[in-house]
Amino acid sequence: MSNASLKSAAVGDTLPELKFGPISRTTLALYAGASGDHNPAHIDIDFAKKAGLPDVFAHGMLSFGVLTRVVTAWAGIGQLRECGARFVSITQVHDLITCKGTVTERLEADGEPRARIAVVATAQDGRETLVGDAVVALV
Amino acid sequence: MSDPTPENPRGIFDRSTKGAALEPVPVQIERGRIRFFAQVLGEADPIHSDLDAARAAGHPDLVAPPSFFVVAEAAATEERRQRGKPGAMDLVKCDFRYLLHGDERYFYHAPIYAGEEVQHSTRVLDFYDKKGGAMEFVTFESTLSHPERGVLVRSQRTLLHRLPELKS
Repeated sequence: MSNASLKSAAVGDTLPELKFGPISRTTLALYAGASGDHNPAHIDIDFAKKAGLPDVFAHGMLSFGVLTRVVTAWAGIGQLRECGARFVSITQVHDLITCKGTVTERLEADGEPRARIAVVATAQDGRETLVGDAVVALV
Repeated sequence: MSDPTPENPRGIFDRSTKGAALEPVPVQIERGRIRFFAQVLGEADPIHSDLDAARAAGHPDLVAPPSFFVVAEAAATEERRQRGKPGAMDLVKCDFRYLLHGDERYFYHAPIYAGEEVQHSTRVLDFYDKKGGAMEFVTFESTLSHPERGVLVRSQRTLLHRLPELKS
């Protein structure tokens, strides 16, 4: 997005969405290696079963990383001031995740105009997995 | 309203670590780690993978994606382990069998670039329970700082245990 159109961002504007998945076990192995998060609950089905889980499950931060892409693709990484999300349900292997953003507020902070963007990740069955918000500078 | 955090008989976290701060450790920000992380996330912007593109966009080197904090933090944990010190999750006694990530938030002050050495610090903020003690939570605050550029990113994180029933 050009800086001119960023300045005119209005409440209700939607950001171009991103889809990723279906999440494979390879993706989880690669994310474990790339992130350094080696929690076996994400990569070792024997460990997961021993812990009483039906299967390994995706790192929440994998979806978080794609949510931030929605925001930075629209506003630019240099404009990102804050980003946070709650992990509201478990992202399962084979889930197809859609990441969306919507402008919910225009505000002024640290001497610059900013926008708050509600972000949400949703699985193919409508289940929300991550719900959060980001703040970007409109400059 | 200043009740101390009550002990949860099912709890696993070591609540005596409330307020504890881990010794800051240095972390090298490596080009290859930024590239690999960006690739796994499907980052399309070449400032994360192509040095010429990053420089053409005015950056001194590859730019870390917004959630690269986790990579730097894992490197900090490894650095602490090599020094014989616990990482944050070791300190509070996380049990991976029951562990979930509750939330994560970043406050961005300045970019993280490949080739830099930054300092990682973490503090254990608090413990609390929900659902009658079936879930217990811990909150952390962490920073990545550059010796000249100051705090680059601050993070807030909640982890939780879904606790097993007590054996009677």
